[in-house]
Amino acid sequence: MPNVRRRLLLLAGLLAAPSLPLIAPPAAAEDTVKIGVIEPLSGGAASAGQAIKAALELGTEIVNTPYPDMQGLPLAAGTGFPGLGGRKLELDYADNQGSPAVGQNQALRLITQDHVVALFGAYQSGITLTTSAVAERYGIPFLAPESVATNLTERGFKWFFRTTPIGPDIARAYIGFVLDQRKQGRKIDSVAIVNDTTEYGTSIAEVIKKQADAEGVKVTQNVTYNVNATDVSSQVLQLKQASPDLVIFISYTSDAILYARTMKNLDYRPPIVIGDDSGFSDPSFIESVGDLVQGAINRSAFAPGRPGTLSYKMNALYHQRFGRDLDETSARSLQGFFVLVDAINRAGSTDPGKIQAALRATDMKPAQLFTGYNGVKFDDKGQNTESAMLLTQLQGKDYVAVWPQAEATGSLQLPYAGWK
Amino acid sequence: MSRRFTALVVVAVLLAAPLLLGNAFLQRVAALVMLAAISASAWNLIGGYAGQVSIGHAVFFGAGAYSALLVYKLTDWPPIAGAPVGVAVSLLLACVIGLPTFRLRGHYFSMATIAVAELIRIVVSNWQFVGAAVGLMGPAVPRSLADLSFLSPLPYFYLFAAVLAVLLFLTWQMQRSRMGFYLGAIRAGERAALSLGVPVLRYKLLALLLSAGFTALAGSLYAVMVGFVDAESALGILISVQMVIIAALGGAGTLFGPLLGAAILIPLQETTNALFGGGGTGLTYIVYGAIILLIARFRPGGLLELLHWRRRRVA
Amino acid sequence: MILLQVVVGGLLLGAVYALFSSGLTLIWGMMNVVNFAHGDFVMLAMYVAFLGYTVLGLGPAWFIPLAAAVMFLFGLLVYFALIRHVSRGPMLAQILSTFGLALLLRYSAFWVFSANFVTLPDTLVGGNFAIGGLRLQASRLVAGATALLLTIGLDLLLTRTALGSRLLAVAEDRAAAQLVGIRPDRMQALAWGIGAASTGIAGGLIALFFYISPTVGESLALIAFVTVCLGGFGSVPGALLAGLAIGVIESLSAYLIGPVYQDVVVYALFVLVLWVRPQGLLGRA
Repeated sequence: MPNVRRRLLLLAGLLAAPSLPLIAPPAAAEDTVKIGVIEPLSGGAASAGQAIKAALELGTEIVNTPYPDMQGLPLAAGTGFPGLGGRKLELDYADNQGSPAVGQNQALRLITQDHVVALFGAYQSGITLTTSAVAERYGIPFLAPESVATNLTERGFKWFFRTTPIGPDIARAYIGFVLDQRKQGRKIDSVAIVNDTTEYGTSIAEVIKKQADAEGVKVTQNVTYNVNATDVSSQVLQLKQASPDLVIFISYTSDAILYARTMKNLDYRPPIVIGDDSGFSDPSFIESVGDLVQGAINRSAFAPGRPGTLSYKMNALYHQRFGRDLDETSARSLQGFFVLVDAINRAGSTDPGKIQAALRATDMKPAQLFTGYNGVKFDDKGQNTESAMLLTQLQGKDYVAVWPQAEATGSLQLPYAGWK
Repeated sequence: MSRRFTALVVVAVLLAAPLLLGNAFLQRVAALVMLAAISASAWNLIGGYAGQVSIGHAVFFGAGAYSALLVYKLTDWPPIAGAPVGVAVSLLLACVIGLPTFRLRGHYFSMATIAVAELIRIVVSNWQFVGAAVGLMGPAVPRSLADLSFLSPLPYFYLFAAVLAVLLFLTWQMQRSRMGFYLGAIRAGERAALSLGVPVLRYKLLALLLSAGFTALAGSLYAVMVGFVDAESALGILISVQMVIIAALGGAGTLFGPLLGAAILIPLQETTNALFGGGGTGLTYIVYGAIILLIARFRPGGLLELLHWRRRRVA
Repeated sequence: MILLQVVVGGLLLGAVYALFSSGLTLIWGMMNVVNFAHGDFVMLAMYVAFLGYTVLGLGPAWFIPLAAAVMFLFGLLVYFALIRHVSRGPMLAQILSTFGLALLLRYSAFWVFSANFVTLPDTLVGGNFAIGGLRLQASRLVAGATALLLTIGLDLLLTRTALGSRLLAVAEDRAAAQLVGIRPDRMQALAWGIGAASTGIAGGLIALFFYISPTVGESLALIAFVTVCLGGFGSVPGALLAGLAIGVIESLSAYLIGPVYQDVVVYALFVLVLWVRPQGLLGRA
């Protein structure tokens, strides 16, 4: 029956066509060391993912070509991995498409088809959760430079490592700042928190409230809203009505832009404004509405610092390449990247077990770091116990380090200026 | 006779293929195809056979997914134990949703299902008990076989394929029964069917109940495999749309249409992402969107009609 | 006083929703085509406006008509290339094809413009000012006024002009319209073009006070669908009424109950209204 045969062929064709490209050829002898990078390269978080990718490409270049000027930075001086005979680094990027399931698929693909020696990512905490679970099952080291959810290091995983400060650290920084300001005589009796109801927004808000409670700072108002709002007038009116001494915004870029504009439209200038990372650190936020939120305080693990320091040089390099300062999120990612490549180098091998051991043994000092961490040392949960951050303030087009005093490169300007 | 034989051979080959290929990633894709086929085939019952295009089926999927991990969180039992709970919850939801919305016609019905699904998603994403925005996690490390947490995707593939087989068998039986006849009448013209004495509301509800139950089961299986659920990944509108797209692409109202749709769309998604995703240019979705668009433009009835497998399609 | 601000803000917001939905009423209501890509049409219009400002140096008085014109042509293109072939097919084919179109448009914009957010300066159509104790934004007032004008214009077009009656005839009974000498294809293409042009105007105006990014259509599209459905398919005044109602309800519930629940209230009321009035507020029974 020729008809049946033709139909079968058609069916086979329909099924095979999308699947064939997925069958990877057997791995040829690799002379590069491959690390899998899973980030949101499409969807709502794409601007962050793209920025991270750009920063990592710079990082790869620093590793693979000599940058003698960057003294102290691991693997900058020579080409490739000295501990692996000069083999070069290759980053294998994958898009997590904002989905925990897709992140898992990509992790599986990177591990089993592309034979990466380690995984890196994945920005959104929920995706980092599922993606690192795959790495754990396959015995591949996973380094999370970014995701702040506390539960990531509470799973008893052996292959998971995180370099960034997490929620409680962030809360300590903010509340510490508040207590400091009080000591200097500034009145901060009421604190309002405005957060979206995403994982990021709620978890940061929770830890801030907890820390505030512990230190006797009263959170008098908590305005929550759904992410990607079409309008935030009601939220701002609620704040204007209550008139708190300090407002902390925890938002992604789109909502942060709306807040900046709406506050101007409704003529609302709180005495002190803290705009937590994410949205407020996004370069396109500063580009669009930076002049409306002058004086907003942010947290940052990175600040360019004084000339001659590694952070200053890294920032200059980045600025030269991309025309703007290194943003906070990309900085933390890039730092995590250098921790990982340093560990691979110390392992002297691409064997995952050896890399894991090298990561466990990590003990980096500030001279090797360009972020403001006090060091990099992982506890038995995989969390970097030496992470730290400082508070910066938007002055002009850049965030300037203003707290703690010891790290400040500019002076704190209060009250909040907002727009002209 | 020989037609049936070739069909069996095809099925056997397709079932054995993942085992023979031995590639973990492809096996996972195959498992995901089966899972998507389950949801889409379940949706097909109400959306294809009964002609009531629901774009809010994520509520049932989410009910299954959340129930599984919630039961785990509260009792420490293997997540799959929550699947019956998920099915029960979604059956209840189906009644609550179906009764008021079934009086709506066409686009109004679809919009109402979207609104209900979104409403529930927002409520869940703010409800502490079910994890709010943080979501729910499955067992971090598998404790026993019952946790169904396999390293290899193969067991998932066969498990999902088995569930799909049951669903398709039930659908086939339904299609040949009086219910199938009534649903066909409802789909062709509700008013006419009503005037002819077809118990429209009862059969729509029956179709919805069956559909909801299996969608919930798919949700539980998803939660077991991925190990994590939050409002966006289990109740988001994209979940609902994906079910509709897959069923429509393959051929809604046909028995194997959703399976075919899944078998094409899921690998397509994976391939485009694997080839273009890393570049971050958005090419993945440009290609994917263009292909869907072209298929819909040239074969609005779905791809199954290309194969003319069953002459007797639901009109 | 604050409550008044909330209500006025809600009305202005609602007018924006109505504006955003105006093209959709025509397309969905009249042609019975579900356009999943509607939000992305508006997104494209916003980018056209943005390019008009940054590349061509045009002011709003120019880039808004430009956006309308470009989108009109684009609408015609989409009609002839795609819609014509699926509009008489099953609803599922429309959903499938316009969903594919939406992805295609969204990520083409992504490719060209990248994921970054851009904005137009918020002082292009005057800044904000206070009347009594109320704070208002000039750009939103203009958007609101335009929404009203557009609604009236479209309604007049449909009910008072010969062209309008031809469009309605095709929507009501294509075969009969053909019998009396109306060219259905041409009418439907025109309807699409006009609908798309409306999204052009909407996008150009909204770009004055909202941010622009490839995914901006996603957040707003759902509200557009609810607005059109609530107003009743095919009723242009219905969409305006529904939009205003949704805006006010949203703002009030956000202020009085909490912003998190504003959408819940809107969706719940939406389903309730449909339960009581299955054809929407002003839809044909």
